[in-house]
Amino acid sequence: MKEQLHANKVQLTYATVLSWTSTLGIIFVVAGYLIYVFQLLPAAVSPAEIAMQWHLRAAEFHKVVPVPSGWDWITQLGRGDVLSYASIVYLSSVTMMCLVVIIPLFLKEKDRIYTMITILQVLVLVFAATGIISGGH
Amino acid sequence: MNQRAFPAKGFFFLLTMLVALLLVVPTAAFAAQPVAAVPTPWWVWEIALFVFCFFLGIVAVIGGVGGGVLFVPIVSSFFPFHIDFVRGAGLLVALSGALSAGSPLLKKGLANLKLALSMALIASISSIGGAMVGLAMPEKVVQLSLGVTILGISLIMLLSKNSAYPEISEPDTLSKILHIYGIYYDEQLKKDVSWQIHRTPVGILLFIVIGFMAGMFGLGAGWANVPVFNLVLGVPLRVSVATSIFVLSVNDTAAAWVYLHKGAVLPLIAVPSIAGMMIGTKIGAKLLTKVHTSVVRRLVIALLAAAGLRALLKGFGI
Repeated sequence: MKEQLHANKVQLTYATVLSWTSTLGIIFVVAGYLIYVFQLLPAAVSPAEIAMQWHLRAAEFHKVVPVPSGWDWITQLGRGDVLSYASIVYLSSVTMMCLVVIIPLFLKEKDRIYTMITILQVLVLVFAATGIISGGH
Repeated sequence: MNQRAFPAKGFFFLLTMLVALLLVVPTAAFAAQPVAAVPTPWWVWEIALFVFCFFLGIVAVIGGVGGGVLFVPIVSSFFPFHIDFVRGAGLLVALSGALSAGSPLLKKGLANLKLALSMALIASISSIGGAMVGLAMPEKVVQLSLGVTILGISLIMLLSKNSAYPEISEPDTLSKILHIYGIYYDEQLKKDVSWQIHRTPVGILLFIVIGFMAGMFGLGAGWANVPVFNLVLGVPLRVSVATSIFVLSVNDTAAAWVYLHKGAVLPLIAVPSIAGMMIGTKIGAKLLTKVHTSVVRRLVIALLAAAGLRALLKGFGI
């Protein structure tokens, strides 16, 4: 009980959102994987086809195996391979979600410095997520 | 006593065998190219990866090392996956570990949000840069620089002496502006411990370098975050470890997106690794009281050095 006194409201909110979103992420990742490898949904590429080429560099691999990357899968969520990939994308978005939630709390506390730092941090992650700075695939 | 000796013996044997395997077995035996000629069913690799990461998770916790730093050099040595995919999976292993450990540490007040956010902003930008450079480099250069980095990490781990409660006489101006200070309840001392930091600009510069390397090699970066927080900035060790996990979750998220966009993430490699490592980490935490952690730590450092040496040799084409 005593430790809780030292975590402020912003930190506690971040922790609560993180706990829910990350637990959901792990469940999603495992479920997506099982759906794919047990072929419960149709997939464009089977695990065996991927395994034949996974020794190639990522850039060369994508020339011969049509697996999802970046956001090119968004309209094909009914596919097992896409669902598994989407779960990884979700896991990579958890930090962003938590940061977005605490921005209004910093604003409410009139903490300009950390409002600005958190907004900038979210922008950095959004830019990375859009693929603008990495050139996409 | 007997209960303590049995698992310890098992661990020493396992670790020593792994070190020997890394040094003795030629790279060609595990190299990617011959796999196409001798096809092993894909599910065998999946199960092997899961089991391997399970043990890696146990060893990582007992040795006090992040799983991410062990994952990339060792998996790229033993499995037929290209190092691009291993680095992508390594980032996700480190990220998922950090995400699941983060919440309780923040709730207890051990991880400090303001300290983490101040360091993570610039580090995450450099982590994106590192990921882009790392994925553009030729494979041999990646192996060479990975080998040098891993050997450097082993040396840091061997030599660094963390300070549980560093004393800071005067916080620096930047840390005052950023309101970086805190208080936490120390379970060992059974009292509240307050802390402040100094040398903030130096710390930020070092985090730029750490972020770059983490993105480039997909390593996770607890091995570097903790010494910088603790020895450079003067953050108490417990707060350093907890806050490092938070910084890692931000930096690895940024780099992971680059790997996702460059097509260097395969769920077939990432998911068994994440699952194996997470379960292994939980078992490892339970075994912590039953083995001699200092001896295991030395063996883990030896394992890391062997993996580094192997990557270096691969880089030279040996």
